[in-house]
Amino acid sequence: MPEVLALALTVLLVVLTAVYARRFGIGKEISIAGTRALVQILILASLILVLFKLPLYWSFIVLLAMAAIAGHTTYSRSGKLEKGLSLAIVSIVAASLLLLIPFFLLGIFPLEARYVIPTGSILIGNAMNVSSLAIDRYRGEIKNRRAEVEAYLALGAPPKLAASACLKQGILSALIPSIDNMKNLGLVWIPGVMTGMLLGGADPVEAASIQIAIFTSIFAAGMIASSLLLHYSTDSFFTEAAQLREELD
Amino acid sequence: MDQAHVELKNISKAVFRKVNNARVKTQILSSLDLKVQRGELVTIMGASGSGKTTLLRLINRLLEADSGAIMLKGRDIRDYNPLELRKKVGMVFQLPVVFKGSALENIAFGMKLWGDNIDVEALARSCGIPENLLDADASQLSVGEKQRACIARALANQPEVLLLDEPTSSLDAKSAEKIEELLLNLRRERNLTVLWVTHEKEQAERIGGRRLILREGRLEEEHA
Repeated sequence: MPEVLALALTVLLVVLTAVYARRFGIGKEISIAGTRALVQILILASLILVLFKLPLYWSFIVLLAMAAIAGHTTYSRSGKLEKGLSLAIVSIVAASLLLLIPFFLLGIFPLEARYVIPTGSILIGNAMNVSSLAIDRYRGEIKNRRAEVEAYLALGAPPKLAASACLKQGILSALIPSIDNMKNLGLVWIPGVMTGMLLGGADPVEAASIQIAIFTSIFAAGMIASSLLLHYSTDSFFTEAAQLREELD
Repeated sequence: MDQAHVELKNISKAVFRKVNNARVKTQILSSLDLKVQRGELVTIMGASGSGKTTLLRLINRLLEADSGAIMLKGRDIRDYNPLELRKKVGMVFQLPVVFKGSALENIAFGMKLWGDNIDVEALARSCGIPENLLDADASQLSVGEKQRACIARALANQPEVLLLDEPTSSLDAKSAEKIEELLLNLRRERNLTVLWVTHEKEQAERIGGRRLILREGRLEEEHA
């Protein structure tokens, strides 16, 4: 265990040395991010140890807290849209729960904290990433395509129809990294769950089966969360009189 | 009896403009009044940034006035459903924006939206769009053809009022005159009330109608 931490710190130090030597100007940022990652992951490990001994509902409380933090991150990407925080949290929670439950209903994993927390957090994390990218792009599309959106509105189109092409572009762009990952799964990289299971001595076919189930689920969670968020946040870009808000610029 | 078709009462509007990366509030329209009768043609001239476009956008409620009231047939436009108001008050923008799809799909947009039944092909013909272009991808049309498609698309909503925001400014002189002629013919045929914004005095003279100048936030009659 100490060797693992030593390896992580050494790699971080090598990166920092290179960054300072080449004067990239991001040394401070990397130091803070690295220290945060180390502290956060150690806290999480200790927390999980405690959670394993607590009743199961505590695991869901922790997942909810994770979803709240994820929702806040996505909300800050939305340009702090009206009702954006609650929408982001609800979208991420709904999508993650929807994809988490089948793993336990179908008996793929036992309903225990050691399975609920990691699987839930993977789903929440990916739902957050895709939603953040999607809302950021959606806002940009509406801003850059103001003339097109207003041309629709000027014909009497409702805001959801006027912004539909922007919404579609927002979701598609946010899903590109996931689609590329899916295409190259097993060719360019072996994803985390499968790596962990193989390192733990699991059967490769079983590891691959679980990985593909996780992979399609995180893809679906990202797509559902971002679709819900973008669909329900559309009204926030418009006034009650179906006018595109001026302050978007 | 004497009710105006469109009436602007004491309209004021300020907008935010970016100056050196800061948002600066600028008063565009100040206590502006205007009465336009049914079927009347009004041209509005003014320097760049004088608020001509803002004025049109207030009339179909793409923008909200800070104070005052705008009446359509004696009724405050805020009492209309904004989407239905925009069906009655059509607008053609300075730069033609076509939607994804063919020219015909663009023109038929309002018909599908509102469930109306109109002869789209006849409308396209009356707007000078040749039949062989109807199935063409709208994004591939020339600027003049796109503007004709946008005019037809606005007219497919069967509006009572047409707001024209420098509809020929992106066209060459010959195409501009053709569009002018088309718009004037359509206005006569359909008894449309037209507010036509232009920055060219020569164009305003060619178009005719009542000529107004927007200066320091207010409209003044221009006398020949």
